[in-house]
Amino acid sequence: MKGLLLKDFYMTWKYCKLYLLIAAFSIVMLLTEDGKDMFFIMYPCILCGLIPMTLLAYDERSRWVQYSAALPYTRGQIVSSKYLIGLMAQTAMALVIGLAQAVKTAMYGGFFQAGELLAAPLTALALTCALSSIIFPFVFKLGVEKGRIVFYVMTGVMCGGSVLAADLLSSPSGAQTMMSVFPVFVCCGGLIYALSWYLSIIFYKKREL
Amino acid sequence: MNALEIKNLTKSFPGFTLENLNLVLPSGCIMGLIGENGAGKSTTIKLILDMLHKDSGTVTILGRDNQGDICLTKEDIGVVMDEVGIPECLTAKQVGKVMQHTFRNWDDAAYVQLLEKLSLPENKPFKDFSRGMKMKLGIAVALSHGSRLLLLDEATSGLDPVVRDEVVEMLGEFTRDEGHSILISSHIVSDLEKICDYIAFLHKGKLLLCEEKDRLLAQYGIIHCSAEQVKAIDADAIRHIKENPYGVEALVLREKMPQGMEVSPVSLEELFISMIKEANAR
Repeated sequence: MKGLLLKDFYMTWKYCKLYLLIAAFSIVMLLTEDGKDMFFIMYPCILCGLIPMTLLAYDERSRWVQYSAALPYTRGQIVSSKYLIGLMAQTAMALVIGLAQAVKTAMYGGFFQAGELLAAPLTALALTCALSSIIFPFVFKLGVEKGRIVFYVMTGVMCGGSVLAADLLSSPSGAQTMMSVFPVFVCCGGLIYALSWYLSIIFYKKREL
Repeated sequence: MNALEIKNLTKSFPGFTLENLNLVLPSGCIMGLIGENGAGKSTTIKLILDMLHKDSGTVTILGRDNQGDICLTKEDIGVVMDEVGIPECLTAKQVGKVMQHTFRNWDDAAYVQLLEKLSLPENKPFKDFSRGMKMKLGIAVALSHGSRLLLLDEATSGLDPVVRDEVVEMLGEFTRDEGHSILISSHIVSDLEKICDYIAFLHKGKLLLCEEKDRLLAQYGIIHCSAEQVKAIDADAIRHIKENPYGVEALVLREKMPQGMEVSPVSLEELFISMIKEANAR
């Protein structure tokens, strides 16, 4: 599967640089914004969650979908490479956000605990993983063109959700609630991602290429 | 050992059925799969590679059933499709690195040598390649991992005559090794006539014939005569008749022709067209 991941890495570097720029901008905003910063935590993670979808669209356009099926890869490996790329990108972004938050806390001279710093990025990671989890099985079953509708709907829901979350969590009681439920979020996000991964493999095995 | 054995392969789609296909490609040979657009050539190749799920029948590649460990089998197969399928942003060098991590027997030195031989730039993105260059890169990949069987789906269509000739030459070189075989589909019959040992005609999802090329060309011939002369010939000898203002042109079976009658050699293309027209007329 190394070959698939390497190919996806080359493509990500070529096609997704804009995402990195937008993510960088969001992190700058996160550092400068005071208070309502959940959107800037969520948005870079959402963008990273979009990377596999972008790669799949390019794969279909270049007919890589058919070519890869002629190479010595199982359908499971082909699906897994996309899940892994998404997971790696989102995890890396969550780490960067965690770091940015630490810098922000230090900048404003406050004290922080590891749990508090991890809560927001891990919640964002779990939610964006859940977003990908819902979209992926449709895309692997129907192809990018037909799966795109689900993708747009879910991205809209997620962006709206992140704005709503920003409002809710700006209050001290909201932040406290997040601290108490974020482990549940992370566990649920992980479970949904694993279930989605499994479903996508089943769907893709049945798909005719 | 046969490189490829297809038995009673059937696959139905709405409006099209590939019906009970039987083919045997002996090791060391090149088989041309000829058919019009939509005859079922690509469907056959996709079924061989298990990209489509068959309704019934069996496919045995290099002695292994394609429903077994197909990944292991694919290590020995080089595939070039009509649209090569390499991501547009990748350079030939990057493609080499990806394939190095894809095939166990990847031979990077052979790949680099082929790139040089085919004058393919290492650092130019695939999207900037001409169609001929794209096809050549696909063939370079297919020939750099110790393939024993090449499956080529319309690999020569859309290429200029010079590149087509180069490709045909490379395929000829590949089959100098007796353990190497090729199944090549095309509707450009002249290319296949140059290199193939076996010819299979597909028409509307059915196999019209599968025969050794030389035997096929020796079996059939063309006569040019008047309509009256044709009537005197055994009806079983005539496979197709085309009337024109100057008389009649007929595809005939040489062995059933009366002695002394002049029979001209038939080209594969003429044979193919006549057979398709005859099949359509039935």
